[in-house]
This record gives sequence, C-alpha cells and structure tokens, in this order.
Amino acid sequence: MSDHISGPRAIADPVADITDVFAFPAPENPRHLVLIMNVFPYAGPSAVFSDAVIYRFRVRPASIASNRRAFAVGADEFTFDCTFDVPDGPAQQGRCRMPNGEIVPFRVNDANGGSGKGLQVFAGQRSDPFFLDGPMAEKTIATKKLAFKEVGSDRLYGKNVLGIVLTIEWATLLEGGPMCAVVGETLTTGKRPIRLERVGRPEIKNVSLGARIFDPVNRDLEIRDLYNSEDAFDLSKHYVGAYRARLNANLAFYDGLDGKTDWPLDEHGNHPLTELLLADYLVVDVSKPFSEISYVEIEQALLEQRPHTTCGGRWLNEDVVDVILTLYVNAGKGPRIRDGVDGPITWSARVYPYMAPPNGPEASP
Amino acid sequence: MIAAAHTDGTIALLNLRAQIDGLGHATAEDRIALIDLLTLRGLILGHIADYERAEEIAERLVRDEATDGMALVARARTRAVFHRFTDALGDLDRAERLSLDAEITNRERAAILQGLGRYEEALALREKAGERRASFENVAALVGLHAERSEIDAAKRLYAESCIRYRGVSPFPMALLDFQVGLMWMDQGRLEDARTSFNAACRRVPAYAPAQGHLAEVEAEFGEIASAVARLYPLALSSDDPDYAAQLARILGYSGRVYEARHWRRLAAARYDELIARHPEAFADHAAEFWLAAGADPGKALPLARMNVEVRKTPRAYGLLAQAVAANEAAGATPSWA
Repeated sequence: MSDHISGPRAIADPVADITDVFAFPAPENPRHLVLIMNVFPYAGPSAVFSDAVIYRFRVRPASIASNRRAFAVGADEFTFDCTFDVPDGPAQQGRCRMPNGEIVPFRVNDANGGSGKGLQVFAGQRSDPFFLDGPMAEKTIATKKLAFKEVGSDRLYGKNVLGIVLTIEWATLLEGGPMCAVVGETLTTGKRPIRLERVGRPEIKNVSLGARIFDPVNRDLEIRDLYNSEDAFDLSKHYVGAYRARLNANLAFYDGLDGKTDWPLDEHGNHPLTELLLADYLVVDVSKPFSEISYVEIEQALLEQRPHTTCGGRWLNEDVVDVILTLYVNAGKGPRIRDGVDGPITWSARVYPYMAPPNGPEASP
Repeated sequence: MIAAAHTDGTIALLNLRAQIDGLGHATAEDRIALIDLLTLRGLILGHIADYERAEEIAERLVRDEATDGMALVARARTRAVFHRFTDALGDLDRAERLSLDAEITNRERAAILQGLGRYEEALALREKAGERRASFENVAALVGLHAERSEIDAAKRLYAESCIRYRGVSPFPMALLDFQVGLMWMDQGRLEDARTSFNAACRRVPAYAPAQGHLAEVEAEFGEIASAVARLYPLALSSDDPDYAAQLARILGYSGRVYEARHWRRLAAARYDELIARHPEAFADHAAEFWLAAGADPGKALPLARMNVEVRKTPRAYGLLAQAVAANEAAGATPSWA
C-alpha cells in the first residue's frame, strides 16, 4: 500500500502514519498549489488527529541540476505545520502555521476549512483515494512472478483516512521558481520534535524498500523505521548505503519480472532509478497546467535528457501503482503493467477540498 | 533526552475505537490486528466483552487458517487472557512447528510463563529478548516481570530505561507500565507510591478502568471514601467486569452504607457466577477475592482459590488460598488443602 502501515512505528501509531502525500496545481486555479497529506489507514468514524503530533509539509525550491541527471533542491524551506487540539465535544479545532508565522485556525471536518493570506486549509475524514491490489503485490515478491490479475482486489476499497488539504497561493507564499520539492512529515510535539514519518513519493517504503529477500547486504533489517526518521532533503551518510543497496536489489528484481533487463546497472551495481528515488520528494512544476497523469513525468524527462512537459507532482486519482510497476518492470518501453485495480471507490473532485467524503461502514467489503 | 508528548488519552481511545471499527475482517492479517486491538481495549476499559470477541475471532481464524503460525499466536494470546495457559502454550508449540520465528513465539511464551508463576523461565526468555534488542517492548516486559516478583530496584531501573526508550505518541504503553509498577507498590504496601503510579496511568488515559479501580482501592485504604466511591461508581455502572461493583460493595459496606453495598454485592455476585461458568480459570482469583471480602462467603471462595492455584502457581495465588483456608477455619469449616 502506498505508504500505509510503512513500518513497525507506523503500525503502533496510525494517527501519525502518513498514507499518502499529493502535490498538484489547483485544477480550478493555476495560481494555487495544492498539498495533501493523509494519515490513519482504515480510519473508523471516531478517528481524530493527535494533539501530540505536528503534521508538517516541507516545500523547497527545486530545479534540474546542471548535469541534467538529478534535481537541485534549494536550502530555503517553507514549512506549513498543522496541529490539533483535544476535541471539545464533537468538534476538533486545528491550526496551520504558515512559513511567515501567521496562524490559520480551522475546524476539523468543516468543508469550508480555514483561510489566511494566500492559504486555505481543510482537515477531516475523507475517502482513502489510494488503490492497489496489495496481496498480489506481496505475491509477486513471494513467487518472483508478476501475480496481478485482470481484475484485482483492493483492500482499501471503501476505507477512510484523515486528510489535510492546503491550497497555497504559491507566488505569494513560496519564494523562488515554480518548481518545488514537497515532503509530508509527522513529528512529535515538544521542544525538540522527533520525526515519526516522512513521505514524498508513493510506494517507496512498501513496494520499493520493503522486501528484504533480495538485499545482499542487510537481509535481516527492517529498514523502514530508520528510513522514516531521515530528513528527506539530507539523508544521513551513515545509512544511505543501506537504502541504496536495498533499492538497487529490489529495483533489479522488478526489472527482471518480464524476463529482460531494461535498467542495466552501472559499474558500481547501481540501478539508474536509485538516486532519483532516494531523492524522496514529490517534484511539482506549478508553471505547467494541472494534469491528471503526470506522476514521475518530470523524472522520466530528466532520465531521457529532455524537457518535461507536465506539472509532475501527483494528482489524487492517478493510478500511480500502474505507473510505478510499468516504470520498474519495463522502463515504459513495454506494455502497461496493471495491478488490476484501476480506481478507488469514489473519485476525487477537481474542486476544493478535492478528496471525496468519507465512506459509510457499508462501503467496506 | 527530551521526552516527547503523548496523545491525549481521550483522543487515543477514540482512535482505538476508530481502528477497531475501520479494520474489517477481510484478511487473516486484519483479523490478527483486530484481535490485538480488542485485547488492548479490553485491558484499558476493563471490557470482558472485548476479550470474548477477540477470543471468538481467534478461534474462527485458526479454523480458517490452520497453517498460519501468526493465527495460532493470536489465539494463544486470547487464551492466555482467559488464563487457559496450557492451551495457549499448545498453540505456540504448534506455531513453532509451522516454522514461525521463535522470537515471536517466545515473546508470547514468556508472558504465559509469567502468568503461570514460572518466573525463572519467563525471565530467561525476556532477558534473551532484551539482549537481542533493547527495544521499549522488551525492556517494558522486564519491568512487568520484576515488578511481579517484587524486585523493586530492577523494576525501577528498567522503568526509567523504558521511559527513555519509548518513542511513540500513543499513551497506552506507558500507562500500562505505570499500572504494573503501581501493582508492585500495592503488593509492597507502599500505598503512596502506588497512588503516584496509578495517578500517572490515569493522567495518561483517564478511562483506564483497572488503574482507576486500583486508585480507588488506595484511596479507600487512606480513608478517602468519597473519592474512592466517586471513582468506582461510573466503572461499576459501565464495565462488564464485576471487580468494580465488588470494590464498591466492599467500600460502601465498610463505611456503613449497607443498603447500597447490598445492591452492588448482588450485582457482582451474579456476574461472577456467570463469568465463572464461562471462564472459570480466568475469574477464579477475583471471584475468590470477592467471596472473601464483600461477598462474605468463604465457603464459595475456597474452591475458587484452590482452582486458581492449580492454574497458576504464583505467590499471589498461594496467598489467596491461605486467606481462603483461614477464613473457612475462622468460620468453623474444616477446609482441605488438597
């Protein structure tokens, strides 16, 4: 699953378990950048945000590096911190601290949310927009063969999450160019916050890093908690080798699933996608119009040494699992690799707050 | 090291309910998670119905997934909750024969051995786990074991270590730990220390029923009857565990409120009889305690105390049996130790 249940710590604290992060130009207004963070997989109706967690969006200016093989991410950072009170009766209050220090209060589950100068915030329970045939993804690893069916089964069908949606006037609030790198994080509150989770791209921890059996270096290591605790923009040099080894091994496994090698490793055994994926943030170009299918287009353009043509980032309804599988297995040079699940129970809307309302209990299988 | 804040106990409980309600029964994994969540809620709220639901799911799960070692471990956990320790150990042995990692089965086995009073064996397993990985879970498990053995210095030292090692935001693990330390202080007769620990557990999770119940017991010992009664009333009303009604009957009886005490005594007695019929091993000790105190029927207590010693040979179980024998002797009966 995208980033659902991505390690022991996430399992212990679902309220801090980020399931997905999305970043896209607002479909109805290109001057706005939309950032979404979902937490709490399988949230039942009583789920509320924790008062002990900071739900943070980190945004940095990004550009294509001069060698055109990687992203160059600036040191300036714009953070949006959402925090929540203990509910007083049925209503929970939250607030978002903007990069300029301004505080925007809002009420959870209020469709209008809260607004400040250049920012609109919604937080509340919504339908989980992610979809995947998780058991067949696991079976693919166990059997070392593509196990997906024509019609798959989505364990997230009819499930809900807690979502936070920020609509940002990017030209006002984010200095720098129109391309930026986005990460979602959960951290403990307190004087010195401790990072609990961080998410940029979908399916890094579960699909890409989760399997241990191919790793020639750390086959016994549950790497995901360690990975979650890292700063996405500044990986620890002590552990990056472990992440690299795991990614190289797992990506090579996926590449071999169609019986041919589309991603030859370099002389050091590195997979061509490894460094790009280690740069684990969504890259979105808000100067380009909204697109429903743009996930990793900027990255693919970079690999192909051509200018990108879409906004990149990630839209709610995109079937990113098919995109990822196709990229990993045949580099986009072969047929689309499908997991057999092509949509969620309800599509997200192209208008604020974008995510579909929560499902009732009857929606779950 | 700066301690991180934990989620407010009210939120944590809402979210525990949300996890239970949101999970579903689609896969074995879901059902195992559900068993754990129900067991946790049972532990926090003193809800026997949650334990029973977990047990039911576990039995069905093992029927459906007979070769799934994790299903057997989950069932072992629910059986241990109801003190069916031999059955639980059997499940773990079966899980191991299915090649389940011994680290997983031994974690459960240590808890069962501890429940049985086989402390040395439990300690050996717990220490091995702690040496392999000094995680919060492993260190906290050692706190519980040393606390139960009244090894105060070791329990205190490991409690401090657990606080440092805990990295989560859920308040439940630390509340459960505070509670275990509180029980240790009670066993030692150090009521002020017990009050501090139970208070800490209640601050973390105000709805933590066993912690509230024991805090009321401490307050009653200090003569703070009004506070103890106020604490017990909502628990006696809401919980399906008769312990709170039994405590309330005892305290009200001692303070001369005989009529009210009689009401709660009747309720507790009926509920203990029900539970003894369904889960004899699990409720023998608490029912015996009830019949020795507010229940005022040592004759009923004795066979239960004896059954309890048969199930678990802990110092506490022997103490309860001795109490039951003495009470019967005092009442003119001639109890048999056999």
